[in-house]
Amino acid sequence: MAVEGLTQVRKSILPSEGDTWNEIAKRELPGLAEDEAVAKLQSWNLHVFMRAAAGMGHAGSANPILPSDVIFVEPPLAS
Amino acid sequence: MHDLVIRNGNVVDGSGAPAYKADVAVKGNRIVEIGEITGAAREEIDATDKVVTPGFIDPHTHFDAQLLWDGCAKPALSHGVTTIVSGNCSLSLAPLKAKHRMKLVGMFNQIEEMPLKAFEEGVVWDWETFSEYITRIRKDLAINVAPLVGHSVIRLWVMNDAAMERTATDAEIAGMQAVLRQCLEAGAVGLSTSYVDMDERLQPVPSRFADAREIDALASVLGEFGRVLQIVPEFYDADLTIARLDQLAETSLKHNIPTTFSPVFLNADNVDAVARVMKRVDEQFARGARVWPQVQTRPIDISFSFAVPSLLFIRFPSWYHIMRFGTPDDIMAAFADKDNRKKLIEEAAALAPLWPNLVFRHGKTDANQKYIGQTLAEIAEQRGTTPVEAMIDLSLEEDLDAHFLASGMGHNDSAAVGGLLNHPHVHIGASDGGAHILSFSTYGDTGYLFSHFVRDLKAMSLESAVKKITSDTAAIWGIPERGLLQPGYVADITVFDPATVKRGEEKFVNDVPGDGYRYVRDSHGIETVIVSGAIAWTKQGGYKDACGEVLPGPEAKTVAA
Repeated sequence: MAVEGLTQVRKSILPSEGDTWNEIAKRELPGLAEDEAVAKLQSWNLHVFMRAAAGMGHAGSANPILPSDVIFVEPPLAS
Repeated sequence: MHDLVIRNGNVVDGSGAPAYKADVAVKGNRIVEIGEITGAAREEIDATDKVVTPGFIDPHTHFDAQLLWDGCAKPALSHGVTTIVSGNCSLSLAPLKAKHRMKLVGMFNQIEEMPLKAFEEGVVWDWETFSEYITRIRKDLAINVAPLVGHSVIRLWVMNDAAMERTATDAEIAGMQAVLRQCLEAGAVGLSTSYVDMDERLQPVPSRFADAREIDALASVLGEFGRVLQIVPEFYDADLTIARLDQLAETSLKHNIPTTFSPVFLNADNVDAVARVMKRVDEQFARGARVWPQVQTRPIDISFSFAVPSLLFIRFPSWYHIMRFGTPDDIMAAFADKDNRKKLIEEAAALAPLWPNLVFRHGKTDANQKYIGQTLAEIAEQRGTTPVEAMIDLSLEEDLDAHFLASGMGHNDSAAVGGLLNHPHVHIGASDGGAHILSFSTYGDTGYLFSHFVRDLKAMSLESAVKKITSDTAAIWGIPERGLLQPGYVADITVFDPATVKRGEEKFVNDVPGDGYRYVRDSHGIETVIVSGAIAWTKQGGYKDACGEVLPGPEAKTVAA
């Protein structure tokens, strides 16, 4: 929902308890096939996805998403 | 009779008003009169041709450990800084149970680059609660300290190891609220949290396992006291920074608290990104939210050798892992091994523009002295190799005692930075004082503000610059009766020569407990520094006995700006 006085910025969410890429994909991108939605989410959130690839900052979990992470649910806005 | 009169100075009172010639009289710890003062005083300071200002306030430091062996926070005090905010970035040294001490040491070592030996030899662990820590540092305090309490530390206190694994239960959140309330009652200036930092295992610090309801619950306690929330956002990305500042804005509005985030760097690669962030800051302020971006004055000049982990390599996992977890022999072996070397060089290619401009700063062998002061590009050309390979070869030849300098990181466009520092919603800070001691000096940012942005570039007036680092800072942080020169205010005062004030050259000194070294800078042009009415440092006499205070203090009820 737009807030008066604020211009549009890239849409993001904070994860819900236990959220995975798949859970977020189903909830935030319901019009897309799940695999495609997950792939899009990961490509929009390399700051989270690349943690596992780098072997850092994912607390040994297969799920790299932390409760405090900002998760973008759309690509960067056109400048 | 007055205790102290500063005569004939140009008073820049911290309000932004034009300078005016006057004497300043002090009695006890208070300023009692400003004007033409004819009466005698027990002590007088001649400030002819000097400016007399409120003491500077540094809102982003990590002096938490240093204060345990150095109550002056040297050399910050000698630069005119009379108040420091400690405990930033989710890390404070209290409240801290005995069983968590080594965890905190590991985090301070990883995140703030505090040497382990300094903790071993410089710290007597005789506190657990925040109140006990305050009592401990008060004994030898010569500078004022406004201590933040770290979110990661509160999580550890309540959740133990689970703090590094999961979200908190309702009961645990209530426990954290109670602990935070105790800390604020004991004198904490606010709460700090981090969304980027990693611990000594390169895993997220506890604060990053907090969900939105935990932050909201803690902010509600801050709201009871009108105290500050400080965060470190994902500062390398504008969209992420904007998302965080939007969260901060909602928190600020809901709980009526000031918030601040740091750092914000401005360079040729991110001009548009910083403009977008600042536009959002302005929009949120227009709604009534208080979201203060902290901008430091200096560029980051990172010195490193491969003998200790450097933040410069945190974006290169293979390099960083070997620096963080390898012994010197492991690192030498990795550099010498053909396959490993190839892998490291390939990874370094991701930031190709960085390496040619690094400067070889120090080496011990005679053969390499001729390269000192040259860039890796110049050295590589002479050796018929690449800059990265030259860096590796020099490190091998010097048994890792080859030191390099990466200058102009962070900020690299002074004219643009001057404009940013002048922005009405920019909070000048983010010095990181007391941290990263083996990478760069975190002292002298205020001298650099006056010499570079006021005197050389004329990007801002002297009065505006003083206001930014005194009354503005006191207002943002809810520190009452400081930051202005006016009768009734506490006498935190700095006297300096506006024609010569600057930061000194960076130097490597051996004054850290455990025979440790650090980079520091001396002050130039600072004449006298007064804390709570007592002379704390002079150019001629160095450090004096003074009595710093813990701010805002348990009695303060002022709601911050």
